[in-house]
This record gives sequence, structure tokens and C-alpha cells, in this order.
Amino acid sequence: MKPMLSTDLNVADTTVEKAKIEIKNLNFYYGQSKALKDINLSLPERSVTAFIGPSGCGKSTLLRVLNRIYELYPKQSAEGQVLLDGKNILDRSQDLNLLRTKIGMVFQKPTPFPMSIYENIAFGVRLYEKISKAEMDSRVESALKRAALWNEVKDKLNASGQSLSGGQQQRLCIARTVAVKPEVILLDEPASALDPLSTAKIEELIDELQADYTIVIVTHNMQQAARVSRQTAFMYLGELVEFDRTEKIFTSPREKRTQDYITGRFG
Amino acid sequence: MAEHTVASFDEDLRQISRLITDMGDLAGSMVGGSTRALLESDNALAQRVVSDDAIMDARQRELDDRAITLIAKRQPMADDLRHVVGSIRMAGDLERIGDLAKNIAKRVGSVGVSTAPRDLTHSIDSMAQLVLIQVQGVIQEYTVGDAAALAKLRNDDERIDVKYTSVFRELLTYMMEDPRNITACTHLLFCAKNLERIGDHVTNIAENAYYVLTGTQLPANRPKQDETAMSAPAA
Repeated sequence: MKPMLSTDLNVADTTVEKAKIEIKNLNFYYGQSKALKDINLSLPERSVTAFIGPSGCGKSTLLRVLNRIYELYPKQSAEGQVLLDGKNILDRSQDLNLLRTKIGMVFQKPTPFPMSIYENIAFGVRLYEKISKAEMDSRVESALKRAALWNEVKDKLNASGQSLSGGQQQRLCIARTVAVKPEVILLDEPASALDPLSTAKIEELIDELQADYTIVIVTHNMQQAARVSRQTAFMYLGELVEFDRTEKIFTSPREKRTQDYITGRFG
Repeated sequence: MAEHTVASFDEDLRQISRLITDMGDLAGSMVGGSTRALLESDNALAQRVVSDDAIMDARQRELDDRAITLIAKRQPMADDLRHVVGSIRMAGDLERIGDLAKNIAKRVGSVGVSTAPRDLTHSIDSMAQLVLIQVQGVIQEYTVGDAAALAKLRNDDERIDVKYTSVFRELLTYMMEDPRNITACTHLLFCAKNLERIGDHVTNIAENAYYVLTGTQLPANRPKQDETAMSAPAA
């Protein structure tokens, strides 16, 4: 496992790395209420970015914009640009199904489908690809291995996904996300409902997955943000207050509001 | 600085700050006491400095315990984290200053003031004054949070180094003049070296305090203001 906090303090600034997602002048509305105010942010490829901030600051909203999942609800709208590899995903012409194969999401509460462990993974793959049984077997196995769950479930692939423990269910959801070969994984409080050991496994998994995926994590647990992410964005009242290397944010942030929040002086 | 939402966190941090201030005050009193005892051949005062070192050690252990417990309980971040880690390091330097003052005090009986040349004790005295100002200043500036003053204070150590070089040369001269001076001068040489080392620990404290206050490190090499230090004889 890599060190919890990267020691290469002199690594180049995050802005010089290749951006996977570029957010430009993004505003978001719940009806009349403005929930995100002119957000500009560049998320580097194959790297973990954490969004932190008090409840209601807009961090989950921002995450939900990145795969347009907010469109499931009425009266929610976004303006501005979110460029995935240079292409604006907020564009009307964007195919939402295609977008969501590229940008997968895992939620706070594990959400296994009421079907077998095997089917939980195969179900999503079948929606997008027609592959043989042998290929599907291999895809399920590799996804479960990537999610560090294979050894625990390989002898009971036909058991219900809901029979697993909370931590295993969450890893099953990550396996399900990985199986459709996304490029970006969004994690919304992925470990907040889990015990410390399961949390550690999820964090270990995030650490491994960043070699192949661009990961964005929303978390209330600041130590977790400090451990797993390479760069951290602090948000407050719908604004992006500070975005920098995680080491910098947690040892000597530039903004007083960031410092007050992470040291427990408000929020 | 605003209070933490958890009030007992503030109290934990205040206790650590209080220990640093206490240790700083004690270090100042030990340095002042040991040099006065040396210059005035005051054995009772020397004894007090020696026994003060046990108090210094106990304070450092208490600070270590409190800091480790605070890290375990509160997982401090940003300025709080720098404060706690910086305090552990500053306490280590203050404890070493106590040890060095104790070393000076332990030599008081051996030097024998009557055999030491009067001029020499003047030089040691003025060196000790420089060191004492630094020891007292570093804690004072940290307490009031004056980072610029700490950066300057760190550079002022150069004056102690220059003074040490001149005391060293003087000592050699006295020993060459009259071999009966050798015993006293050798002890005084160690005392001067101890004072010079105390200055170095003050420099470390200033660097740590600066980092705690600002979140940035002072440059690794401080500017050399006086070229004479470059030609200091090997000590």
C-alpha cells in the first residue's frame, strides 16, 4: 500500500497534469435556489480528488452533476460546462447512457440489486454489451477481483447480493461499477455506513483503483480525505473555497475558512 | 483564532502551550543561573540548576504524553497539527538546553574562579548575555506569534558563533601565556561550547516556531552575516 500521505511534497502542481474532467463556470439550481456558484475546477486523470465541506455546501451536488444523475429529478438544472476529455457532458446531445458507462457512481448506502452476486455484476454489463457466457464469467471474476471481493464470494456467486455484509455489499457495488469499464468513478460517502475494517478495505481499494481510473470522492471524514486523495477541494455555501494538493490543504491551507473547517472550528 | 466547536480541544492545546512557556522560562532561568554560578563561583546556585534539570525532563515527558494523547484523541489538522508536532520538537530542544545548562553548572566547582583570568570571565559573561537574550526572546516571540521576529532571531545566532570564536582564541592565548591557566581554561572552553550549542538549539526552536505560525519553512541555509565565523578554528 502507498503511504497514507504522499511524501513527494514537491510534485508538480495539480494544474499541470492532464485533466480528465474540467469544470468551467458551473452554476447549479434547485428550482430558484442556487446551490453551486461559478465552480471552476480541473480534476487530473488517474488520481483521487476529494470534495469536503459541511453539510449543504454543494459537494454532493457537484458530484451529481458529473454524471448528470440530477436529471432524474425535476426542477434541477445546471449551466456552464463540464468537459470530459474536452467534450461538454452538459450538452443536450450527450447520450446519457453512454455517459454513465464512462462515469460510474457508488452511493453512501450499499445498493445491491435483489439478485445473485453474479447477476449483480452481469446485469449492468448486459445493458451495454453482448458477450458470451465465458466472457461474462471472466468479466465478473475480474470485476470482483478488482473490488477485492473475489476470494470472499467465489464459492457462492449464486447467493443473493443482499446476503453479504455491509462492507462486502459496498465492494460488490464497486465491482458492479468497474465491470462496465468506466473511466471515472464517483464515490458519494462510500464508507460512512461501514465499520473501520470495511472502511480500510474500501480505502485500500480506492488506492489500487486510481492506477486505472479517475476517482472523485465526497466524504465527511477528513482523515479519510487526507488518506486517500491526491488533491482536495473544500466547498462552502455552494462555492469552491480552496483546491490544492491534499498535503497542503491538511497541513497549511491558504484560506482561513478551510483552516477553520478542517480544524473543527465551525461546520 | 476562533474557538473549536469542541471546547476541551482548546483546553488541551492551551495546556501544551503552557508547558512550552514553562519550559522556556525554566530554560532561561537555568542558562542565566548556570553562567552566574560559573562567573561568581556560586556552588549553591549551580546545585539548583542541576536539580532544575529534573523538573525540565519531567515537563518534557508530560508534554510528550499530552501531545500523543491529543493526536490520538483529536486527530488535529492544519495549524493545530503544526502546533502539536512543533511543540514536541521545541520541547526536545528546550530539554537539551536544560542539559547543556546543567553541564555548565556541574563545572562550577572545577573551574575555581581565583585561577581564571578576570578578562576571560568578562568574555564568557558577554557571550552568556547574548545566549540568554536569544533563549528568552524565542519563547517570547513564539508566544506573541511574531514570525518575522523569529526569522530575525534565528539569524542573530550568528553573533553567538562569532563571539564563541573570539572566546576560543582568547582561551588559547591565556593557556599559552601561562600553563597554570590550562585547567580552568579547559573547563571554560567546554562551558563556551555549551553556550554555543544552546544558541543552536534556540535556532532550531525559532525554525520550528516559524513553521508552526506560518506553515512554511525558513530557507535551509541562513544568510551568513559575518565572515569571521568561516575561519573559526575547529573545536
